[in-house]
Amino acid sequence: MTGRSVLITGCGIVSAIGQDCGQVLDSLLRVRTGVGPLKYLKTEHTEFPVGEVKLSDEEMERLMGIAPDTPTTRTALMGMIALHEALGNAGLKADDLKECGFVNGTTVGGMDKSEQYYLDFIENDSRNAYISTHDCGSCSEMIADRFGRFKMITTISTACSSAANAIEMAADMIRLGEADIVVAGGTECITKFHLNGFNSLMILDHEQCRPFDAGRAGLNLGEGAAYVVLEEAGHAAARGAKALVRLSGYGNACDAFHQTASSPDGEGAYLAMTKALKEAGLKPGDIDYVNAHGTGTPNNDESESHAMMRLFGDDLPPVSSTKGMTGHTTSASGAIETVICILALRNGFLPVNYGFCNPMENGIVPNMDLHKGCKLRHVLCNSFGFGGNDSSLVISAVE
Amino acid sequence: MEQKTSVKVLSAKQITIQNPLCEDWMENPLSYSQDYVRAVDPDFKQFISAGDARRMGKLLKRALATSLSALQEGGIENPDAIITGTGFGSIENTELFLDALVREGEQLLKPTQFMQSTHNTASSLIGIHTKCHGYNSTYSQKGFSFDSALYDAWMQFRIGRIKSALVGGHDEMSPVFSGFVRKAGHVKEGEICSEAAVSVLLAEDGDNAYCTLEGVRLLDAPSEGALSKVLADMTADGIDAVMTGMSGNGENDSWYGFLETMLPGVPLLRYKPLFGVNFSSSATGFYAAACCLRKGCVPSVLSVSGQPVECGKGILVVNVVEGRHYSFSILKPSCGR
Repeated sequence: MTGRSVLITGCGIVSAIGQDCGQVLDSLLRVRTGVGPLKYLKTEHTEFPVGEVKLSDEEMERLMGIAPDTPTTRTALMGMIALHEALGNAGLKADDLKECGFVNGTTVGGMDKSEQYYLDFIENDSRNAYISTHDCGSCSEMIADRFGRFKMITTISTACSSAANAIEMAADMIRLGEADIVVAGGTECITKFHLNGFNSLMILDHEQCRPFDAGRAGLNLGEGAAYVVLEEAGHAAARGAKALVRLSGYGNACDAFHQTASSPDGEGAYLAMTKALKEAGLKPGDIDYVNAHGTGTPNNDESESHAMMRLFGDDLPPVSSTKGMTGHTTSASGAIETVICILALRNGFLPVNYGFCNPMENGIVPNMDLHKGCKLRHVLCNSFGFGGNDSSLVISAVE
Repeated sequence: MEQKTSVKVLSAKQITIQNPLCEDWMENPLSYSQDYVRAVDPDFKQFISAGDARRMGKLLKRALATSLSALQEGGIENPDAIITGTGFGSIENTELFLDALVREGEQLLKPTQFMQSTHNTASSLIGIHTKCHGYNSTYSQKGFSFDSALYDAWMQFRIGRIKSALVGGHDEMSPVFSGFVRKAGHVKEGEICSEAAVSVLLAEDGDNAYCTLEGVRLLDAPSEGALSKVLADMTADGIDAVMTGMSGNGENDSWYGFLETMLPGVPLLRYKPLFGVNFSSSATGFYAAACCLRKGCVPSVLSVSGQPVECGKGILVVNVVEGRHYSFSILKPSCGR
C-alpha cells in the first residue's frame, strides 16, 4: 500500500449481541444470537425477527448523559455509545479531537423520528427540531459534538457499505497526510421506513436468517453502531498508543448491474476483494478468514459465493457471515464486522456462521467451528450495498 | 507516492433554476420573485429512453443528463471514479414512501419508491448506465455534500488510484420538503429554495479544459489560525477573486466575514442569488467559477460589489455551512487554452 501506514488504535461497538467490545466478544465465543422478536420498534410487522440493540432510546440517553428533552435520534444515540468506547479505547480526550477527522456512515439518519413526527412537520410547529435531525449529516454532527470538536466531519451514504467506505476514506486521509487520526465507522437504527422497504422488496426472512444455507429466505434487519480509530503508525508510536490491528488494504468497486440486486457472477464483489488484496500486497492464499457480507438473501449469498470461489479457487479460507447473530445492521455493518474481525484477530478464533444447516448448490460452505486458539494473520471483511456499492477491507495482525 | 498538484476540469454541466445544460446565465440570467423555484428541466429524451425516464425521479434524470453531457463534452466514456454529493437524495420518492407509510399504514408500500430513497442511487445509476466498475461513492453532509465528494476525488487522484472522476452535486426539492427546510433554517429569509444537479468531469489529462483544480481542503469549526493558514496556502500564487456562498441573508453572509479580514481587497463573488439555495448549492458555485475561468471573464451579476472582476490568476471557491463546515477549492486558468 502506498503512502503512510494505517493502524487501528481503538474500537467501539454497540449491537444486538452486546453493548461494548467485551460483550460482543463473549457472544461471539458463545455463538449466541441477538436476533429475536421485536421489542423496541413500534410497527405492524411484528412477524419479522430483528437484531435490536437491547436498550430503549431513553436508556441510551441516560447512558450518554443526554438531557431528556434534547432532540436526538436512535441512530445518533447508538453512534455516541460506540464512539464513546472507541475514543476511550484509543485514549483520546476531547482536546485531542481537534486534530482528528470524523467520517461517519449512515443512510437512515434521523428517519426514526421523521416517521414519528412527519404529520407534525406538515401541520404544526411542535416538532420542528426533529426536521433538523432528519438528514444523514446532522446525525454525524450530533454524534461528534457529544465528545468535542473534530478537525473535519463528513458522512458517507452508500447504503449497506456506508461504514466500510467511511473507513476507506478515512484511511486515504491518513495515507496522504491529510490527518494523523481519523475516526470512522457507521451507525443505523431499525426504522419502520426501511423495515417496510425491505419487506416491499420481499427480502426479509420470517424466521431466523440462515446465511449461505440452501433454505435461506432473506435477511433479518439489525441495528447498531461501531467506530474504529485509524492512526498513522508514527503518530501512534509517538503518543504511546497500542495498535490493535493494521488496515493493510481496501477496495471499492461498483457492480454496475442493478439498483437492488447483485450480479449473478458477483463482479463488483470480486473486484472489491481483488483491489483490497492488491493494495495490501497479498495473494488470496494469505487470507486466513473472510467475514462475508452474507445477508441471507438468496441473491446476495449466491453472488458473493461466486465472487469468493472465483477469487480463491479451490483454496477457500474459512468464511462466515455474522449477520445470523447481529442481524443485518445495514449502514453500520461494515464497521460492526470490522470490529468483529479485530476481536477474532486479537483473540484467535473464527466467528461462526450462525443459522447455517444445509449447503446451497454451487455455494460456499461456511465456517461452523470457533477454532479457538487459531492464529490469524490477515482477514478480509466484505460489505456490499444497494446500487452495487461493494467494498472490502484487509485487516492484519500486528506483531 | 506521487503527489499530484493539479487536475483538469474537463467539463461542468448544470440543471438548475437557470437555463439547463448551457451558460445562458452568464449573459441573460433568469430572475425570480418566488421563494421556491424548481429546476428548469431539459428534454431528457436525448439522454434517457421514455421507459427508463418514467421509472426515475427528477434527481436521477437530472443526474444522468448532467453526467452524460459532461462525459460527452470531456471526451471520456468511462470515468475511473463516480462520486456524488447529495444532502437529501431522491427526496420525492422518500417523501412518497414516508407519506404512504404514515397515512395509510404498513401494508401496501411500493418497492420502487423505497429503491430510489437511498442516497447512493445517483452514483450507482451512473455506474450502471456507463458500465463503470471503478470507485463509486456518495456523500451526504447537508450543504457540504458536494464539497466532500470533491475532496474524495482529489484524494483519489493524489493517491494514484484514478486518472478521471465524475463528481456530482445533486439535490431535488419537493414542495413539502421545501417547507421543511425553511422551518429547519437550511434555507433562510431572502434566499430562493431551489434545486441543483451539477456534474463535473475531472481528469489528469485532456484538451480544452475549463480550468485546473489545484487543491481542496475541508475543516470543521476551524480556529482563526487554521483559517488564515489554509488561505495563505491556497492563495500563495495569487488569486483574482473568491467565489462565496453569500446569499444576501445577513446570518449566512456573516460566515464569510473572515475573508474581508484575511484577504483584504480581494473581490468577492456570489452565485446563490442566481442559482438559489439547496444542499447542492456549493456545486453550482464550483461550476460558476469553472465557467468564469473558461470564458476568461466574470459576469458582473456575480460580483458582490458590482465592480468588474478579473479572473486571469484564479478563483478560490469557499463554502461555509451553518457557520462550522468550511471547504476551500482553488481553481486556476488552464494553460492549454
